[in-house]
Amino acid sequence: MSSYSINEIMKMLPHRSPFLLIDRVIECEAGKRAVAIKNVTIDEPFFNGHFSTEPILPGVLIVETIAQTTAVMYCASFMESIEVRNDHAPLTPEKWEAMIKEHVGYLVEIKTMKFMKKVTPGDTMRIEVIVKNKFANLSLIESKVKVDGVIVAMGKIAVSEKV
Amino acid sequence: MDNAIVVKAKQREEICTEIKKMMVKQLDLDIDPAFITNDQPIFGRGLELDSIDALELAVGIYDHFEISVTDDNMSIFSSVNAMADFIQEESLEDN
Repeated sequence: MSSYSINEIMKMLPHRSPFLLIDRVIECEAGKRAVAIKNVTIDEPFFNGHFSTEPILPGVLIVETIAQTTAVMYCASFMESIEVRNDHAPLTPEKWEAMIKEHVGYLVEIKTMKFMKKVTPGDTMRIEVIVKNKFANLSLIESKVKVDGVIVAMGKIAVSEKV
Repeated sequence: MDNAIVVKAKQREEICTEIKKMMVKQLDLDIDPAFITNDQPIFGRGLELDSIDALELAVGIYDHFEISVTDDNMSIFSSVNAMADFIQEESLEDN
C-alpha cells in the first residue's frame, strides 16, 4: 500500500492552483482503491462567493476531490506499468512526469451523489474511492467522503482511462 | 428430443426476460421491460443508449448473473440476444 505527498501528487496530476484540491493520498492500492485527505481552509477563492456570509465547500468541488483521488489511483497503476516496461531504459524525470500527466483520464458521468452534511473551513475531508467495476476504458467508482468519521457525501461516478 | 428443444427455448426466453428487467432497473429506463425486443439495437438508434451505459450493463450482468465482463468487446451489448449468447457461453465455461 502506497501513500503520496503533495509533491508526489503534483508529479502525477496536471491540476494546479486554484484547482488542485487534494492535499495528500494516505492509502493507495494502485488501480483498486485510494484514500485522500483535503484540509478545507477559508483562504480558498470560492469562499468569496460561496457564500460571502456562510462559507460552504461547493458540492461540485467535493465531486472533483473524488475525481482527483481516482486520478491518483489510476496514475499509480500506470506508473507501475511503465516501471515494468522501462526496466532497461530509464526515462528522464521530465519525460516520466509528462507521460504520467498525459495519462490522466476524464470524468464521464456523475451517476449518483448525495451531500449529507455541509463541509466548512476547518474540516478535514477523508475521500475514499474504490473501483466497483470496469468495462473497456471506463470505470465505475464508488466513493464516500467523511469528516471526523461522519459521511458528508457519497455516490458513484464513472471515469475514463486514456489508453 | 422435442422436449429438449422446448426446455432450451424456455431457458433462453427466461434469460432474455431477466436481461430486460436488469437493463430497465440498472439504467433507470422509463419503459416496460416487455417493450424491449430481443434483436433491437441497444446503442444509438434503437434504445438510444451510449458507451457509458455499457459500463452499467457490465455491472448489471455481474450483479444479476455473477459473470464478469472482462472482454472489452462492445458487441456483446449490441442486443438482448447478444447479451444472452454471452451469458450462456460464459455459464457453460464455468460448468
